[in-house]
Amino acid sequence: MPPVLEFEEVTKEYRSLFSGRVVRALDSFSLQVEAGEIFGFLGPNGAGKTTAIHLAMGFMRATSGRGRMLSRPFGDAKTRLRIGFLAENVALYHRPAARLIRFYGGLNNMAGPQLQQRTREVLESVNLSAESDRNVGKYSRGMLQRVGLAQALVNAPELLILDEPTSALDPIARVAVRELLLHLKASGTTVFLSSHMLSEVELVCDRIAVLHHGRIARIGHTSELLESRQNVQIVARGVASNMFPGAVANNGVVNFSITAADQRAVLERIWSLGGEVVSVNPVKRTLEEIFLEVTADATQGSGS
Amino acid sequence: MRPVYLIAANFVREQRWPILLLLLCVLGLAAIGAFLNLQNSRDDVILLFKQLAVYGIAFSVFFGASAIHNERKSRRILAFLSKAITRRQYIAGLLSGIAFAATLYCFAMGMTGTWVLGQIGFQPGRLWFFMMALLAACLLGAAIAVFFSVLLNPLLATAATAVLVAIPFALAQLLGPSWGYTVPVYSLVQAFLTFSINQEPIIGWSVVLLGFAEAIIAWLAASWLFEWKDVAVAIE
Repeated sequence: MPPVLEFEEVTKEYRSLFSGRVVRALDSFSLQVEAGEIFGFLGPNGAGKTTAIHLAMGFMRATSGRGRMLSRPFGDAKTRLRIGFLAENVALYHRPAARLIRFYGGLNNMAGPQLQQRTREVLESVNLSAESDRNVGKYSRGMLQRVGLAQALVNAPELLILDEPTSALDPIARVAVRELLLHLKASGTTVFLSSHMLSEVELVCDRIAVLHHGRIARIGHTSELLESRQNVQIVARGVASNMFPGAVANNGVVNFSITAADQRAVLERIWSLGGEVVSVNPVKRTLEEIFLEVTADATQGSGS
Repeated sequence: MRPVYLIAANFVREQRWPILLLLLCVLGLAAIGAFLNLQNSRDDVILLFKQLAVYGIAFSVFFGASAIHNERKSRRILAFLSKAITRRQYIAGLLSGIAFAATLYCFAMGMTGTWVLGQIGFQPGRLWFFMMALLAACLLGAAIAVFFSVLLNPLLATAATAVLVAIPFALAQLLGPSWGYTVPVYSLVQAFLTFSINQEPIIGWSVVLLGFAEAIIAWLAASWLFEWKDVAVAIE
């Protein structure tokens, strides 16, 4: 099956009209998103995430390279019949939510009872049924974001592209959106999720890419990325905690981390001391640690 | 066609207050017709009528010059263009919205003029010809403004439109009246501004039709240009 979303050596440069200064937002950027997955797209501010999304949506053109969405070149209007999109900082017209959703559905050539039915469904899916007749101008920012999500879902998209969909949501709404994304995935929708909410991404995404300076700095399956191959956690019984640097004794067991390279030697040492190995597990890292590691030079750069 | 209609209807809804203001101006003219002795103030009423025509063109250019900019600035354009509409349909929707507003305005002016100017002996047939000329000027002015607004901010787009519209005027002065028809906004407006009760229009239907035709060309040119334009600047 071909990738649902594909960037091939895409470069995007912004050129200042007056100063002539060139900013390279994407630099030979390549990425493939497979059908049916939830793909997390991370990166610090200015990494090029929104630029990549806007290129895919056809809002702008690449300086070089090319890309395809649902096997069609970027910018193809008919392809967008099968796409849902929620922009960062969602901006909507001030009118009742249900009418607004019908309006956006109409732009996708939906009409009649099908559109009415679908409007009810999507507003229900974002928990806004009770507020559907209220003008969105009176909504909170979190509610606006949910209406934005509803308009992205109105055409039952095959590919849903979300740029910071949970940034304004409270924890309860965030959980609801997370469940909605998992439900969409179960029904076959591919989700491309750009977010700074690393814990959310960690919980829902099958694969993750970290973008840095317009290039992919790290990519892989979430479970693989979070699993450290460099360190292991050892729990042993019958040995003194002072025998191993950094070991902590608790409830009759000692607990400590070592590098994977030292694993064999340390285990043999435990046994030679008469101890018993309770468990050996790879150390799980958080996405935040990976993110900070990948973008370390950016952090240093901004501090200087 | 449905997306174009929706974009047009949305534009009219968003600009309902300026449109209403324009229509109130026309209503003011009707009120003058109702309460003034028109036979004693014929010239004043005609001047007011011409003034309203200029307002119509000015607002059309203003609508055209600011339509894309407003949507980009508010980032609402992203939700539009993420749907299955082409850039050409988007521009067509905006221009259709402006055309609807301009048509409504010209119709209101025509109806009011038929009644008010009719009382001072102005022929309704001639008046409606001028209304068509005004509509052509509004549409052409708006389409040119939309074309420039693809690249420029509203102020510069308005200025560029004014310059482009003024060039045929200069050419007409230098090289002869037929040069005034190259971009006939000026010719159409001049016809309106110089009309009087006993004088025949200084232009014919061909110039009006040319105005409509050039509005379509300007729409196509604006669409083509917009196809190549990055509409979203990265906010990062």
